[in-house]
Amino acid sequence: MTPSLKQSQLQPNKLSFLIVLPILLAIAVLLTYQFAPFVNQPELGATTISKLTETRSNNEFKLSTNGFILIPIAAFITLFLGLWTLTNTQLNRAASILTALSGVLILEYFVVFWMKYSDSGGDYLSAMAIGFWTLLALAITMILQVFIPRVVVAKEFQLRSLVANQESAIILALILLVVVVGLINPRFLATRNILDILQGNAYIAVAAIGMTMVIVTGNIDISIASLVGLLAVISGRLAVADAPILVAWLVPLFVGAGAGAVIGFFVAYLRVPSIVVTLGFLSILKGILIIWTNGQRVTDIPPAFYLAQMKPLGIPMPIIFMVVLTIGAALWMRYSGIGRSFYAYGGNAEAARLSGFSEKRILMQVFILNGVFVGIASVLYASQLRIIQATPPPGLELFVITAVVVGGVSILGGKGTVIGAMLAAILLNTIRSGMIFVNISPFWIQAVQGILILVTVLIDLIRRKRQLS
Amino acid sequence: MNSNTIDPIQPNPTKSANFGKRLRSILFSQEGILFIILMIVMAVLSQLNENFLTSSNLLNQGRLMSEVGLVALPMTFIIITAGIDLSVGSILGLSAIVLGILWKNVGLPLELAIVLCLVIGSLAGLVNGLFIVKLDVPPLIMTLATLALYRGLAQGVSQARSVTGYPEWFYIFGQGRIFGIPTQLWLFIFGTIISIIILRRTTLGRYLYAIGHNPVGAKFSGLPVSRVLLTIYAYSGFMAALAAVIFVSRVTTTRSDMGTGLELDVIAAVVLGGTSIFGGKGSILGTLIGLILIQLLKNGLALSGVTSDATIIVIGTVLILAILINNFVQSRREG
Amino acid sequence: MKVKLSLIFSMVVLASMALAQTWDGADDLPTNPLACGMSSGGGEVAMLDYNGGMVSGGMSMAGEDIVLIDVPKLVGIGYFAATTAGQQKAAEQLGNVTVTTDAPTEANIDDQIAVIENYIASGNINGILFAANDPVAIAPVLRSALEKGIHVVGYDANSEPDAREWFVNQAEFNGIAKAMIDSLVAEKGEDAGFGIVTSTFTTPNQARWIAEMQAYQESCYPDMTWLETVEAQEDAVLSFNQANTLMNKYGEDLHGILGMTSVATPSSADAVTQAGLCGEVAVVGLATPNAMKPYVDDGCVESVVLWNPVDLGYAATYVMRAIVDGDLNPGDTSVMAGDLGELQVVNGSEILLGAPFIFNADNINDFDF
Repeated sequence: MTPSLKQSQLQPNKLSFLIVLPILLAIAVLLTYQFAPFVNQPELGATTISKLTETRSNNEFKLSTNGFILIPIAAFITLFLGLWTLTNTQLNRAASILTALSGVLILEYFVVFWMKYSDSGGDYLSAMAIGFWTLLALAITMILQVFIPRVVVAKEFQLRSLVANQESAIILALILLVVVVGLINPRFLATRNILDILQGNAYIAVAAIGMTMVIVTGNIDISIASLVGLLAVISGRLAVADAPILVAWLVPLFVGAGAGAVIGFFVAYLRVPSIVVTLGFLSILKGILIIWTNGQRVTDIPPAFYLAQMKPLGIPMPIIFMVVLTIGAALWMRYSGIGRSFYAYGGNAEAARLSGFSEKRILMQVFILNGVFVGIASVLYASQLRIIQATPPPGLELFVITAVVVGGVSILGGKGTVIGAMLAAILLNTIRSGMIFVNISPFWIQAVQGILILVTVLIDLIRRKRQLS
Repeated sequence: MNSNTIDPIQPNPTKSANFGKRLRSILFSQEGILFIILMIVMAVLSQLNENFLTSSNLLNQGRLMSEVGLVALPMTFIIITAGIDLSVGSILGLSAIVLGILWKNVGLPLELAIVLCLVIGSLAGLVNGLFIVKLDVPPLIMTLATLALYRGLAQGVSQARSVTGYPEWFYIFGQGRIFGIPTQLWLFIFGTIISIIILRRTTLGRYLYAIGHNPVGAKFSGLPVSRVLLTIYAYSGFMAALAAVIFVSRVTTTRSDMGTGLELDVIAAVVLGGTSIFGGKGSILGTLIGLILIQLLKNGLALSGVTSDATIIVIGTVLILAILINNFVQSRREG
Repeated sequence: MKVKLSLIFSMVVLASMALAQTWDGADDLPTNPLACGMSSGGGEVAMLDYNGGMVSGGMSMAGEDIVLIDVPKLVGIGYFAATTAGQQKAAEQLGNVTVTTDAPTEANIDDQIAVIENYIASGNINGILFAANDPVAIAPVLRSALEKGIHVVGYDANSEPDAREWFVNQAEFNGIAKAMIDSLVAEKGEDAGFGIVTSTFTTPNQARWIAEMQAYQESCYPDMTWLETVEAQEDAVLSFNQANTLMNKYGEDLHGILGMTSVATPSSADAVTQAGLCGEVAVVGLATPNAMKPYVDDGCVESVVLWNPVDLGYAATYVMRAIVDGDLNPGDTSVMAGDLGELQVVNGSEILLGAPFIFNADNINDFDF
């Protein structure tokens, strides 16, 4: 790292500079675009660019690329600056939220203004996209405001302070990926695609909430794929049997909790290691599923059942579930007594025991909660399509564990948040989708996932070293 | 045959201990209990089908078991050090692909390709070890990463093409017999003996238990922790590659999805064998019994007309119950 | 510094990946595209000498009760539940055949071999019906079965010819390929752009169909645009996501999605429906009718290509009976298969079930599998 301006204190006038900087940057980007429309150069864009402006009857693709390529870039630049202020003890939280907010709003104003008066033809969808990116940027900023422990006392401007925790490191990777893939193939940035990407792994992110709790307490659950398969069929068959829809949605949660309770009982009271119990359950549940269904998929489900296909306010339901549950769980784990006991127990079981936490109760709670989240995930999984396949989603457990681990949850216990896991689930799906968009052979997808895990772990390592020194 | 542990709580039978005590300590050791379970299972299964307890069936099961078994040996070592290696299935896939590509596409002689395949496997294991040792990456995460990475490399390198048409002599590893016993069973027996000797008679074996018990303590008391860990992870990669050679020879083809899910079979056998996932406890003998128990259960149930879907339920239950019984007996002994 | 070195290492690996291109998912084997045109598929009969294996020794069991084991690729999926149903139907009609289905719970070459080994060892079976996860890998164990006097008949997915006696071919690969492409052309014209959602690139049947489709399309409809093949395991939601990705990536260049499995096809149809692109993007695919009814009934999917898996299992059982009874010998050109009537022998040692069947809104509700 090159030495940068060493200043132990930030001057007040620097603060105002911080607010002005995003605006200047945004204007610079806009001007660059006006005079060098890089997006429309065929050699830089994908082959389909020229067709992007053509219309299609029920048009989702008519959107002008311009706003799409610029808004995210600008929003993320602002976000970055907001993040930077986070790591700086001299600035209070209000200031940094304000920074992000004002930056994004001003940007939006400029873009809307420009779209309206240039002949590039913005439409209501573009406006939606702007709103979407703004909200996303703001949401992330605010979430981080709450969760980033202000341990990093940055005395100088350091790029590395942006990766001060796993969540921001993943956001960084996401931004990079979205911008790079978006530059190569702007269609990637279409609202629909973004929503599809967010929605695609939503049920995995929900399952990852439970898995985070399990892993935070130093345990693991490798049986969830079988459980999701089983619960999805239970849910679907209830709906087909004309049970009230609410029952069909809620029963998997209770059955999941029941399965979690059994696993928890083995782990907490009979002291069987969780990997052994869940390895056993993986086979048992799968066997039950196959014998019960004989592979017959569930069809003729009443339309009211399709929870995951609902779109209140135009936002797919799985995304709402993912975000609400994740934020709720993150707050709960951070501020409630039970949630904190998970971290305490995972960090140091002995100390937690001595300070009066009941080990058995913690483990029971963790596995029951995990079962409930698997239940929710399986309802989302079941109601995404009009038929339910009676097979466990292949490799789900590894995918969920990967998301949790990449999200910064320490396998040794006691560390990491569900927000990181959610972001990682999104990142993994963005990679999968992005690879298709930039024509990277899908053969390499697993290799990329592997490298991703390594890189996040390495970043974590760098961070720990910095914090130590 | 006391359990291989340096857990101070467990009584360490000495020569002066009388015979009864000694017998009890054998019977109620991890391996003893498992062995009793195994005997009961075999007795029941042999009643259900007369073809179960025949030498041809048992030898054949030995053949099928060898690949998982070979990988389970180093896995036992790794789990004793409180580590884990999830990437073995992917190393198997990668090594198999390397073998096929080097022979068919690069045109190397098959003998050389086999050697290089083993080298690549060991290297893959060594990479796991390097990250774990030098960068302090937790083994679960490291091998989770390489589980995806190595499988991805296998797929990328092979481009989903399979390699077939190996020469006849190559099939000796997977289909041949030496003195009436399947070739790979010899390899497995040889590997088992070596591993038992390493674990029980060498300082390396003692180090493994010490590291599993207290990694920090082991480091501070001057044990060559890094070298030990590097060795066993490389050993794991080597064995996975050896299993790959046998597997390719047995099924006469190479595919990039070979060995998918192998890690779970291997870990199931090892933990069933009484090796503690928390480290510091376990033995090769236990792993061997665990392995045989799973294999014979699958086989015996199938011979008795139980279908695979029901069999996996039985195996899942046995896995949990065996650990449960063991826990129960051990706590009775201690308490 | 080690950390930096590892990062550089990662970058190099990533860079090497970037050199790859979109993948079509076809295999390398030679293709044999059928003649163009809208006539229904169905291969020409290739008159080859018998190239199947021979069962060794064993006494004649003609007319006696026989016990068969059926080892499909895996259990727990609808397709093989349907073939099992067909076998049970045949066993019931014949009266002197008992069939048990047993297979691994995942489509795993190793587990499938172990299952077959177990039944050979049990010594109380007279015949094996199988659908191979890998044509080469399964061959040694099947050969050892033949050596022990056990009859071996394949269906759905073939092994090497000499490792089994006969193979009941549900439909020729080129026939399926033709039906798929023709159905798409019928909906979207001869200059349609299309993408494919398949299970994995290593699945032999799927790779074969894709290769044949490619060959047929290149020779008959050169104006069609082959966009991309994506992999989606056998995962319903992943298939849905991948279909969405295809639509988002190609936009109006995409006129059709071809689903290669009973999981990929309904999921793709759902993706198209939920995107509101029914009619804009056609979905044609291989799938069982039950899985496709909702989409065919609401008009989003016009044609589903498949054979009847119940008939496939049924025919396999009849063929086995015919071998045992001595009614089907090397060199024969046809075999009687109960309700299905006379089935042709093709390619030396294969029995052709017929031309692929195309389900549409008129007939799909007549089937239940």
